[in-house]
Amino acid sequence: MKKGRFLSLTLACALCASMLAGCGGGGQASSPSAGSAGSADNAASAPAKVELTVVTSYGGDDGNRKNYEAAVKAYEKATGNTVADASATSNEEWKAKVLTDFETGTEPDVLFFFTNADAEPFIQEGKVVDLDTIRAAYPDYASNMKDSMMATAADGKHYAVPSAGFWENMFVNTKVLEDCGVKVPGPDYTWEQFLTDCEAIKAKGYTPIACSLFEVPHYWFEFTLLNNGTLTTQMDVPTVDADGKLVMDQTAEKWINGLNDIKDLYERGFFPANTLTATDAETVQLFAEDEAAFLIDGSWKCGYFSDNYADKLGDYAVAYVPAKGERKATEAIGGISMGYFITQKAWNDPAKQAAAVEFVQHMTSDEVLSTFVTTEVTALKNGASPSGLNSLQQTAADTNANITGVVGAVQDTITSEAKTDLFANVQNVVTGQMTAEEAVASAAALN
Amino acid sequence: MGSTLYKKKAPLIIFLAPAFAFLLVFLYYPFIQNVINSVSQITGLGRPAEGLQSPWYANYAQLLADPKLHTALQNTLILIVCTVVFEVGIALVLALLVDSIEKGAQVFRTLYFFPIVISATALGLMFNLIFLYKGGMVNQLLLNLGLIQQAIDWKDSAHFLFTMFSPVMWQYVGFYFVILVTGLNNIPGDLYEAAALDGCDGLRRVRYISLPLLRNVLCTCLVLAITGALKVFDLPWVMFGAGMPQDQGWLTGTYMYDQTFNRGNVDYGSAIAMLIVVLGVILSNLANRVFRPREDIEF
Amino acid sequence: MNSKKMRLHPAALATYLVLIFWACTTVYPFLWVILNSFREKGRIRSDSFSIPLPGSGFTLDNYRTAMERFDFGSAYANSLIVSVTVTAAVVLIAGLAAYGLVRYRFRGRKLLYSLIMAGMMFPVFSTIIPVFRMEAAWHIASTGNRWLSLLSVILPQIAGNLCFAIIVLMGFIQSVPIDLEESAYLDGCNVFQVYFHIIVPTARSSFATVAIFSFLWSYNDLFTQNFFLRFPAEKTITLLLNEISSQAGVNYGLMAASVVIIVIPVLAVYIALQKNIIKGLTAGAIKG
Repeated sequence: MKKGRFLSLTLACALCASMLAGCGGGGQASSPSAGSAGSADNAASAPAKVELTVVTSYGGDDGNRKNYEAAVKAYEKATGNTVADASATSNEEWKAKVLTDFETGTEPDVLFFFTNADAEPFIQEGKVVDLDTIRAAYPDYASNMKDSMMATAADGKHYAVPSAGFWENMFVNTKVLEDCGVKVPGPDYTWEQFLTDCEAIKAKGYTPIACSLFEVPHYWFEFTLLNNGTLTTQMDVPTVDADGKLVMDQTAEKWINGLNDIKDLYERGFFPANTLTATDAETVQLFAEDEAAFLIDGSWKCGYFSDNYADKLGDYAVAYVPAKGERKATEAIGGISMGYFITQKAWNDPAKQAAAVEFVQHMTSDEVLSTFVTTEVTALKNGASPSGLNSLQQTAADTNANITGVVGAVQDTITSEAKTDLFANVQNVVTGQMTAEEAVASAAALN
Repeated sequence: MGSTLYKKKAPLIIFLAPAFAFLLVFLYYPFIQNVINSVSQITGLGRPAEGLQSPWYANYAQLLADPKLHTALQNTLILIVCTVVFEVGIALVLALLVDSIEKGAQVFRTLYFFPIVISATALGLMFNLIFLYKGGMVNQLLLNLGLIQQAIDWKDSAHFLFTMFSPVMWQYVGFYFVILVTGLNNIPGDLYEAAALDGCDGLRRVRYISLPLLRNVLCTCLVLAITGALKVFDLPWVMFGAGMPQDQGWLTGTYMYDQTFNRGNVDYGSAIAMLIVVLGVILSNLANRVFRPREDIEF
Repeated sequence: MNSKKMRLHPAALATYLVLIFWACTTVYPFLWVILNSFREKGRIRSDSFSIPLPGSGFTLDNYRTAMERFDFGSAYANSLIVSVTVTAAVVLIAGLAAYGLVRYRFRGRKLLYSLIMAGMMFPVFSTIIPVFRMEAAWHIASTGNRWLSLLSVILPQIAGNLCFAIIVLMGFIQSVPIDLEESAYLDGCNVFQVYFHIIVPTARSSFATVAIFSFLWSYNDLFTQNFFLRFPAEKTITLLLNEISSQAGVNYGLMAASVVIIVIPVLAVYIALQKNIIKGLTAGAIKG
């Protein structure tokens, strides 16, 4: 029996140890809030200190994570309130979690979330407060924003206060281009020139286009769509008739031609050899480490390259995506897709209402947003005033100065089912297992 | 089994109640929700059902017609066969070998356990590095040895089965090894001693003592292998994501996850979950039929 | 193990060769990760085999970065609380159930067995949202209270590991010779005494095995933890690893260092358990 006792003893010890460790951790965790309570007491007309729960997508690898955390600290210091922050990386799982929270009544006080169709479930349930209601009590709320650039919900009201926006455009590796004797694309860059350049780059042994068609075909898709249509028709989505068959109108043709342009690039061998099995991180690394020339990506990549390749920033530049048809190379994708919501739960809690409003105003003030925005689209009336640009951001600013038109990404307006289906089928289209028409029909049926 | 000890059934409640209370609340009740979901109309995760499908079995009809699901089933069946043959097979050989040696058994037991200790997420990252196209361990090795001229894309249609299954196999050999070694440990030592006196040694000892007495444990392993393969998810998901390459790489586990979480196709995902459960029960019952565990082993 | 001595003849040599070969395959990748966790950024893809030496690529930066960015202490504490509780509960509850199912003959036994088998098949993805709703209604999940949040993970994890544990323990308990129990009964023990004094000690190594697996799966389970634990004070070690790897991108060295940090404690626990519990039990088992 001795050994039996030994087992239970070991287990008991392990339990005790973990309890002790847990208590130690608990003690540490509670001390900061005790500290902030003290500072609130010191403040002159201190209203009771409030703990605000906040959920944003500024967790994980988000380029603005540091800026966000600094802004939250500043808010805590200025108000004495504490922020219980449950930010995470934005993906489908995260979206599901946020929506489930609204269903179960465990939603946060302030939410930073997508303002498109993704937000409709809780908007329609009346779980968040619209701007007019807030402004009736706090007239200054979001007064530094252009109302025209705010997302409008299906019921015609504004709910979210926009934060930093984004642009998508073409990054080029100038070192590779130079080695291949190819000029850095200018505002008049054409598709034909692009194809010639790619041939030259390929002949030199480089990969012309860094892109994982498996993971992120959407960057190229948005621009090949634009190349086959116009700014005003970019947001049109193909439809199916009553029998579930694709309606062959101009929009459907545009989508089909867009997919076929990608297929053409694939067949010419301009994508990495493993584009159908590589991750986005792998192909971006090709670009970053001078093995590939072109990369269509978003404004957040400026931050990524600055953080990870600070010593090589001079080798990258933001240029223009080659144009075809009616489109000019100076037309790009961009917009604001996310914003701050205040939930009814916080609004109806007299203790939290002011704190929540104050938090959103702080996070969207000119001063704070200027740390988030360097070259991105912004809804600020006065524009952002970033504290200085590095060489890569400067090239982006120069390009942006020449931009003649911006339109949102059409992928943000279709259902997530349709979107996932369409982009998952790009690999099947380029390898000929499916025609572009079949892929478009399949996605349209799910929309 | 004529034991008088177990004639009185009253204590049975105390033995079974805690476990089934837990299972009922946290497993069976949620799964009944899942059954309901599979015949309902649900537009997104975290959203309530909007009435029944019409007809109610629409999702199940779709299961029959879905080519990607067929791929998933096919791959999963291959995986089950590989699991049984290689995982349990290798583990059995290793366990018998370790049991037969005197020095170092302890060391081997510890070493073989290494792969299970590491989380699948971490292992996935590791194997991604090993099979990386540019500069991965395998490609570096083969190129340096001059065995290949061009880097191999280990995740393309020609190689993905190997690349997907070998890490899973490798990881779980240790798992079955530990279970089998524990089973061997439970065989009373004096049985071997008696056998040795009768001149029964080496392979014959394995044939006439170890294997028959391991039968119950082996049967458990078989059930675990089948159910494990049907819902294996994290390692293939970290390495391959959604159906790479070109929708040929689906497994039932990854396909169900993709439908539910990436596509918000909650009702269809629930139907796939039902299929996984039904297949699992059928296959493991079949395994139990074939390798019927003996409940009356006499010593 | 047994008293029969084996001399080192060719068969034994072959045995050792096979065993050593497999040992290499399990240890090598892990060594490779440890080596590369000390390698300078950017060198892994070009040269991942050599031993990093000071002056030729050796660095502690990966560990420094990992430690700086993340609070490992509180994460270890959270992970241990969750996993130890889950392990203890699973071993206790599953042991009783397995014993009852193996030894008693009653109507519905087959059905319960099938239910458990089915339970093992339920993909966690299909049960997580109902469980979350239920726990939110009980005010356990997503409250911002650290202890409640940990509890909200512990409960479904216990349920999730139970089926496996019951199945495995049933297999083991079936092999325990029943005459032991008979004679104990004749000596005046009741069923519970038989269970705790005969079954548990005899199948001790089986219980230890189940404990180890429950611990590991609870410790390494990313999905449930990720769904229930949101606030920094609640984060477990697995969630930290996930966060690090999503922040690291292609910084493979940082990833390798994080893997080492997360694996070391589990290895320590295993080796400790292995040494003290599993070792050399067979000889005395039958005598209790």
